[in-house]
Amino acid sequence: MSTRTITLTVNDQTLTREVPVRKTLADFLREDLGLTGTHVGCELGQCGACTVLLNGDPVKSCLLFAVQAEGSQIVTVEGLAGKDALHPLQQAFHDHHALQCGFCTPGMLLAAVDLLSRNPAPKADEIRRHLSGNLCRCTGYVNIVKAIEAVGAGAAGTDTVSTGAVGAGNIQK
Amino acid sequence: MKSAPFEYLVPASLAEALETLAGHQDETKVLAGGQSLVPLLKLRLARPRYLLDINRVPELSYLELKDGRLHLGALTRHSALGREPSARGSCPLLAEAAARIGHTAIRNRGTVGGSLCHADPAAELPAAMIALGAELKIDGPGGTRLVPAAGFFQGFMTVDLQPDEILAGLSVPVAGPGTGWSYLEVSRRHGDFAIAGVAVWLSLDDKGLFRQVGIALAGVDDRPWKARACEDFLVGKEAKEEVIAAAREQLAGFDPTGDIHASREYRELMAGELFVQALRQAVERAANNL
Amino acid sequence: MTQVTGYIGRSVKRKEDARLLRGEGRYLDDLNHLKPKQVAFWRSPYAHARIKAVRTAEARELPGVIAVFTGEDFAPVKPLVTEIQLEGYVAKPQDPVARDKASHAGEIVAVVVAEDRYIAEDALELIEVDFEPLPAVVDVDAALAEGSSLVHTEVPGNIYYRGRRVFGEVEAAFAKAELVFRETFRTSRIAGTPLEARGCLAEYDPYQDVLTVWSSTQIPSILHLKLAEIFGMHENGIRIIAPDMGGGFGIKAQIYPEEIIIPFLARALRLPVKWVQDRREDLLTGVHARDHRYELEAAVTREGVLTALRLRMLTDAGAFSSFPFGCTLEATGGARMILGPYKIRNYEYDTIAVATNKAPAGAYRGVAQPSCFFAIEGLMDIIAGKLGLDPAEIRRRNMLSSAELPYTNPIGIHFDSGSYGESLEKALQSARYAEVRGEQSRIPADAGRQIGIGLACYTEISGISSKGYQSRGVADVPGYDSVRMRMDPSGTVAIYTTLTSQGQGHWTTFAQIAATELGIEPDQVRVVDGDTGLAPLGTGTFASRASITGGGAVFRAAREIKRILLRVAGGMLDDLPPEELELGEGFVRARGRKLKVTLREAARKAYEIRSGGSETREIPGLEVIAYYDPPPSNWSNAVHLAVVELNLVTGFPRFLDYVVVSDCGNLINPMIVDGQIQGGAAQGIGEALLEALEYDPGGQLLTASWGDYLIPTALDVPEMKIEHITTPCPSTEGGVKGMGEGGAIGALPAVVNAVNDALRRSRCWTGVPITRAPVKPEDILRRVGAVGAEGGDGR
Repeated sequence: MSTRTITLTVNDQTLTREVPVRKTLADFLREDLGLTGTHVGCELGQCGACTVLLNGDPVKSCLLFAVQAEGSQIVTVEGLAGKDALHPLQQAFHDHHALQCGFCTPGMLLAAVDLLSRNPAPKADEIRRHLSGNLCRCTGYVNIVKAIEAVGAGAAGTDTVSTGAVGAGNIQK
Repeated sequence: MKSAPFEYLVPASLAEALETLAGHQDETKVLAGGQSLVPLLKLRLARPRYLLDINRVPELSYLELKDGRLHLGALTRHSALGREPSARGSCPLLAEAAARIGHTAIRNRGTVGGSLCHADPAAELPAAMIALGAELKIDGPGGTRLVPAAGFFQGFMTVDLQPDEILAGLSVPVAGPGTGWSYLEVSRRHGDFAIAGVAVWLSLDDKGLFRQVGIALAGVDDRPWKARACEDFLVGKEAKEEVIAAAREQLAGFDPTGDIHASREYRELMAGELFVQALRQAVERAANNL
Repeated sequence: MTQVTGYIGRSVKRKEDARLLRGEGRYLDDLNHLKPKQVAFWRSPYAHARIKAVRTAEARELPGVIAVFTGEDFAPVKPLVTEIQLEGYVAKPQDPVARDKASHAGEIVAVVVAEDRYIAEDALELIEVDFEPLPAVVDVDAALAEGSSLVHTEVPGNIYYRGRRVFGEVEAAFAKAELVFRETFRTSRIAGTPLEARGCLAEYDPYQDVLTVWSSTQIPSILHLKLAEIFGMHENGIRIIAPDMGGGFGIKAQIYPEEIIIPFLARALRLPVKWVQDRREDLLTGVHARDHRYELEAAVTREGVLTALRLRMLTDAGAFSSFPFGCTLEATGGARMILGPYKIRNYEYDTIAVATNKAPAGAYRGVAQPSCFFAIEGLMDIIAGKLGLDPAEIRRRNMLSSAELPYTNPIGIHFDSGSYGESLEKALQSARYAEVRGEQSRIPADAGRQIGIGLACYTEISGISSKGYQSRGVADVPGYDSVRMRMDPSGTVAIYTTLTSQGQGHWTTFAQIAATELGIEPDQVRVVDGDTGLAPLGTGTFASRASITGGGAVFRAAREIKRILLRVAGGMLDDLPPEELELGEGFVRARGRKLKVTLREAARKAYEIRSGGSETREIPGLEVIAYYDPPPSNWSNAVHLAVVELNLVTGFPRFLDYVVVSDCGNLINPMIVDGQIQGGAAQGIGEALLEALEYDPGGQLLTASWGDYLIPTALDVPEMKIEHITTPCPSTEGGVKGMGEGGAIGALPAVVNAVNDALRRSRCWTGVPITRAPVKPEDILRRVGAVGAEGGDGR
């Protein structure tokens, strides 16, 4: 089986691993690093559950091979907040009941982090458009939109939403 | 849903990429953004022996204004078309068309070159490139050749590209006084492939006559479809509602396929409706631009 | 107004959120502590074919492959039989791996166990199967036609079930009917398709002879009992654990072949084995739902009152009668629920579940209620249109009033409480109905856009009891639920239940109930769900039942603990009898006196064998088991009102307003209830406008990915106004009624009615209402003549 050694930075932690070249970034994060917060919903880039930030931009980690992430900065949901803390968006999702089963939530959060970094106070229709690649089957999106709007309203004029990794999560040795 | 095994090749220059390609020919698939190819790999509908990842080829990543045209490397991500001020400002049609491709995360990875080479007949950029009269730059063992976008698409997901060639980039005209544009499409949900899409790039002269017109449709034929008869009909005529209506009468000859999302008849109807709306919008923008 | 008692009725924020938000949930695919081997399935490419030979030698040779199994290897496994004790039902045993023939595309033919999933899928490509294709039956009319190919020889005429009943004087009512309306309504085959697909992990411990199975199942107790029977094991040698689940919606409330195969492999190989379903497998083989046809005939007075209704209902059950609810689930469900809040006294149904070579149908949120209310609510609008009545008015004329409750309908369904008329009026008010009607009438009939208002009034069955399942002949669904509750010496509480949570938030709502009954904080209550090794057996979380059945068991367990506590505390407080004590804010207090002990002190005392505890009670400790079998009648009701604007150039509808008025009795957590309504409505909107599983004539699924099976995105679901009327259930614990499915029930009829209402305003309307879902843009254009009738799909 063809493998390669890659070095990349995940949630602020730089690491080197040998990976089969056909292994997706999603599978690598979940299986090799134990970062199971990145969820795999469709494996074809149609649901957004596996969204992570690659060099700051949201991408579908099921459509990237881990080898392609050589030298990149990855942020997963585990890296959004420090241990036992919640990122403002995570707090808003909690306050507005913006999650039910929680499966789409990590991807939703990372997509929303990206939106808020570009537009600190987005309107509902911009939020809906930006999140249209992240499917949710539980909430009807209503409270997700409210939660992001609330963070936007709270952050208007300030820069409280970070896109960088804060916590490392528990990356497997 | 896991890819079959392959060898991963990651050239660091265009020369190395072409050399590798020449060595492995038909057994190789070029990986650009991967937003269409990787699903095919995972479904094992594509199973190349070698995957040639061109993402680290520096010569394929550029975005510059030169000689009155916008030059884009094949690795230009869809999101850059809307985000890079030089691209958005000089060729707003591309930004408008790219905004309809998939969703944010897809646009962050998907590339202009990949979209053109994949050549899905319902895709946005191939139609936009035809409307723009883009010139494609193809590199191969024999050197560089330039191909007009209209000639690049040869059939269902078939393009004028040899197995040992790489689409390196392209250039498109930039907007000037009197330029108008529009990309409109209808899809079941936002981000789905177009049931029908229409790209228009035109310019009006100071008398309000059509000086130049490029129109191409997505989703209505086995390839992006250039509305040549309509273009010819419009040039030199006055940009007004009756002329647009008359141009719609010239819109014929494409051959849509019905599927579970839309019948042939509905695609035809939408093609006509969007044709009129897109032309109207482009004319309005052109008039504001004079 | 929401009734607040302690923590009940309050929007307590969810206890489960923090770990899910941090990516620390434990879904099935996250369970890697056993380093399990991975499984992939070779699935039939044919809808119907005889299996001549399965060659696996080459696959076995592939490095990394541990074993390959075929149907013959499963011969010792007892086939799954869905037992439904109803006249007219035919049972057909199902082998976990097909042996002689495949009956639908996607049926399992061979099984690969390998070191990882990549290798397992490589091995699938090395398996060769010789098939002899057989004619595939892919629609109900073809299946019922004389001389049709049979899906199974054991199912004559391809009829899995046929039920015919007459209630009241139907013939007489039609004989003297002033008007008769006939209409046929169809709904597409759809999929619940939760974000997390299914999966199963099993480990066998030969030392203790214990089989532990982690499965993304909504019915761990039922799986527990069935696996014991199938493997011939003692029930106490099996433990089922349902981990976090990424949605269920009923799809995970069936027992699937994989849930038998994976534990079998773990036992056979003495290795931990895991399978995680991919999306293609989910759409191909996860139970489908609602491929229904309702042929309705109504006797109606000139005033619009329905005096009698006849229904012929066809459901496409697919190839197998799924376990445990059987193919009768939808066929009887639609036929029994359709009368809803209306007082139609004469009713007759003939309902047939038809076998076809498609994936089995089963439970999906609302079961047949979305489709039967689509039919009856659609019919109401058609009758209103013909008689020149407002859609709200025809409903008023047929609806049960509160004064008429309790009411038993002709089928025997007993409504003990509800607010049908009040809910309708409140919805109209909330949507500014009269005003919107005015706006609507000001749009010229030849305009390129029209506004429509759609109503859906419905009842929702919830919390079905053991008697309820017995009366439906469903042999393997117990109907009760249970909890084990323990108050620790520290005064905190743990609740163990086999009920699962797929997003419903039971950690929070059950804690709210226990905290309220015991006078403590929800934070002091821990809920451990979905584990048959820790909790008494019960039924599961589906069909709007957990708040009634699980909540009821929590109420009862908490009261029993409270009873013991008060006795123990009484012993510490001058031997006061329990009736002179009260519990609250962490204390046991003597009523009207200053005497008190902390709850913690009392709890500790209850565990002391040689002191006061044992003097007031024979058994030490504070641990109880409570079962709750709900009363036979628990019906919620609600009204959905949708306002849409149609673009008659493109055919696309756009929501202008969406109102829900819900009455589900006392609310435990209004925030969670509203979330359920929003999510359910989103699924109903998908069913109304987007979702359809399409097969080609050969039985191949054409919609095997989320690129073709279209579920709503954030841009497809509107904002919603949700209001509540609270009519407590007189017979359930806490006065609650179930409501988990309701959102999905009302949206389909409301949205399609709104589309039809808008079409009726157009001068170009062809006069033919849309009676089939989903409504595609071109269906709308077809009804205004912009697209020809010969669109190819016969609509």
